[in-house]
Amino acid sequence: MLLSLAFRNLWRNRRRTLLTLSAMVVSAALLILALGVFSGMFKDMLASATEQYYGHLVLAKPEYHLRRDLFANLSVDITNHPALMNEPEILARSPRLRSFGLLSKQLSSQPVELLGIIPELEQQVTSLQNKITAGDYPKLEDRNGAMIGQGLAKKMKLKLGDELVFVTQAADGSIGNDLLIVRGVFATGDSRNDNNLVLVPLPWLQEVVVLPGRIHEVAMTLANPMLAAEVADRLTPHLPENTEVLGWGDLLPEMREVIAAYGVSRMIIVTILYLATGLGILNTFFMSVMERTREFGILMAQGMRPMAIRALVLLETLFLGGIALAIGLFCGALMTLYMQQIGIDLTSYITPITYAGGTILPRLHAVFEVANFLVPAGMLLLVSLVAGFLPANRAARLNPVVAVRED
Amino acid sequence: MSIYNTPLIRKLLPLLILLSILSTTALALDIQSVIREVEQQYMGTSSRARTTMQVKTSHWERTLEMEAWSLERDYFMVRILEPAKERGVATLKRNREVWNYLPKVDRIIKVPPSMMGGSWMGSHITNDDLVKANHIDEDFQLRLLEETETNYVIECLPKEDAAVVWGKIVYRVRKTPQVPEQIDYFDEEMVRVREIHFDDIQQIGERIVPLRLTVLPLEKPDEMTVLHYRELVYDLDLDESYFSLRNLESR
Amino acid sequence: MSLIELKNVSKIYRLGNQEIPALTNVSLTFDEGEFAVLAGPSGSGKTTALNLIGCLDRPTSGEVIVSNLTLGTASSKQLADFRLHHIGFIFQSYNLIPVLTAAENAEFTLMLQKVPKLKRRKIVCQLFADLGIDGLEDRRPADLSGGQQQRVAIARAMAANPHVILADEPTANLDSHTAEELLALMRQLNQEKGTTFIFSSHDDRVISQAQRVIRLEDGRLADDSKESQ
Repeated sequence: MLLSLAFRNLWRNRRRTLLTLSAMVVSAALLILALGVFSGMFKDMLASATEQYYGHLVLAKPEYHLRRDLFANLSVDITNHPALMNEPEILARSPRLRSFGLLSKQLSSQPVELLGIIPELEQQVTSLQNKITAGDYPKLEDRNGAMIGQGLAKKMKLKLGDELVFVTQAADGSIGNDLLIVRGVFATGDSRNDNNLVLVPLPWLQEVVVLPGRIHEVAMTLANPMLAAEVADRLTPHLPENTEVLGWGDLLPEMREVIAAYGVSRMIIVTILYLATGLGILNTFFMSVMERTREFGILMAQGMRPMAIRALVLLETLFLGGIALAIGLFCGALMTLYMQQIGIDLTSYITPITYAGGTILPRLHAVFEVANFLVPAGMLLLVSLVAGFLPANRAARLNPVVAVRED
Repeated sequence: MSIYNTPLIRKLLPLLILLSILSTTALALDIQSVIREVEQQYMGTSSRARTTMQVKTSHWERTLEMEAWSLERDYFMVRILEPAKERGVATLKRNREVWNYLPKVDRIIKVPPSMMGGSWMGSHITNDDLVKANHIDEDFQLRLLEETETNYVIECLPKEDAAVVWGKIVYRVRKTPQVPEQIDYFDEEMVRVREIHFDDIQQIGERIVPLRLTVLPLEKPDEMTVLHYRELVYDLDLDESYFSLRNLESR
Repeated sequence: MSLIELKNVSKIYRLGNQEIPALTNVSLTFDEGEFAVLAGPSGSGKTTALNLIGCLDRPTSGEVIVSNLTLGTASSKQLADFRLHHIGFIFQSYNLIPVLTAAENAEFTLMLQKVPKLKRRKIVCQLFADLGIDGLEDRRPADLSGGQQQRVAIARAMAANPHVILADEPTANLDSHTAEELLALMRQLNQEKGTTFIFSSHDDRVISQAQRVIRLEDGRLADDSKESQ
């Protein structure tokens, strides 16, 4: 009966209850949507940083990622090191050789970064194959076929089939130079990659820089990118001396900060939104309790304990919170689903923004993440309880003599 | 970073020599005329040289045989003769532009401004050295720092609007014969980062010049570049048209 | 031994710095089965006396002993439990819970006593029949007349079978005919079931129906028909 009493009390002032309820529903649903979109943006960023260039985990000589020293190279055999092969978290491994040099066509020349790759392996680590705007991904059998960024293609006015000269200093001190043929163009939205990066077959680059059988790094994909640091620590003792395995968090410290900031800003948004919601609930229930002072007096006169009175009011707020939660979660999930499936394309309004090594694409698009539902849900119930506590306490402390006389 | 300008080396040698002479020129007033004389004597003419360049780095060591031509201070052409793998690689300098010819791909490449600080042919000489060295008197303010019985020491500080990479250059020039002995290069924090030593002083025709330069990058004590003139001939019948892109690849 | 005993009871309310004496040195005893009225004009201390007897309030001085429980030393939880099992209240009006039906209102104390639902229903149905309001069980208070509401209130007070039913001006908002009917009903219950009734009133017609009349004036006991007998 206490339950039905609480429930009926909620519906007694329908307009007020519905108003509070809708505020709670809207705040919960919007919060879920916002967190979903936020997560989507963040995921885009992380994906652009890791899946367009770095990979989740990178094995190289110590400090290679800082100095990019041509001579800090490894045997290509390390790609199949047992420690890497036996680590279940690692889904793919791609050996890479890197060379910086000058790319030129007739009068125009540009400094570029060449990444020598084995196409089938690299495609399992990075996803540039999904960003191709013209032509094809490099092929191993197409000896000197290259894929270049769109920015570079634009600057040098390149089209598919164009011949380019790449010049660099080879590892033996000689002038490494050879022809490349443009076979593909990609666009990631990250200007650094789009303006500088050139993908070429690994054997060709090894020949040009005179590093046969050598690579600079093994880039890897993990089942769960968030475990990168953990997997790196786990692998380290099993890898040869004078190598270093780093997660994307070490390669892109800014990205790690972005993640931390994301957690903080999520909590700030949740707090602000629910502070307002909580005040609404508080107001509603204070009014409700004041109006029912006489009723509480009567209930107490009949022998209802103060604790039971308190429980009654808390039950009412919890009910309201529960209903708001159910509807809010449903609406939030629905909107998130819409944003996940369809999203909003902003390409015509803004250009991609590169930040902390990742690229925020000009689209609003959400991902489902359990935390994005749990946090609003848990907070909503908590806020309901906290906001209900004050009025409940007040009701429980009423003096029945005074309360009964109240009109 | 990369070194892709093999042919430049040849140009570089005369250029550097020219540079040292120029620096001498910039001495205090009483020697200004002497220097101008030296400069004009050199610039009023052309040269051809056969050079050996030895480059030693912590990773490799190599020797290049080169042939170089120059005309006044603005034109140089250098071509590699040895090793065979790089035979025909050539560098052309026209005024402040640098071009490379790569026989393997049969292409001429213009070195872009962003690569001017890069190493030339893997040596410890940069493209900038090639382009800017003989403009020291234009880009720097010269001052006599010290004068001994045998030497002048001249300090060169960059002029305010000059686009130069050095914070300071100090020349040590011998009085007789009037040849450079040593040049010290300082970065923008006034830390000495490179030295060039001159020796093997020979009489070539009417001129006395040091035939060997040693470039020491002070940050990498185990590395160096040594340029040695085997043959040096002045006053050839060369004009500007010789230093053309067509000539760069044709020979 | 008497059911209820007030020994030299005083009650002083504080309003800011002012002290308002509501009762002064009142001593009273009630036995089981009494049908007594506290009479007097408003402000004479009737309600205060009822509240003290009903364990809703504690005296400022003196002692109130109800069924061997001394109020001064009991906690509010103990008082609540005591009220639940020993005392029934009837207030002037509007004392039903508007969101509960008539039957649910009447069942409320039984529910607090954790009486099973079926048994509750049975007790309440019988009471409603006794009080002549059978058939109104599922109506909400708002759909009942004032007299019907007070009968439901009596049913609620009676449901847990308390020793004492306290009624504070139970007829104040009723027309005289309904008031008389209600009073007769209470008297009937008093005689049939032996439940003690103590109520307050300033209406002479009501007072005349009482078995015992206690008159209060300015918080002092002015007359007690039992004493004077």
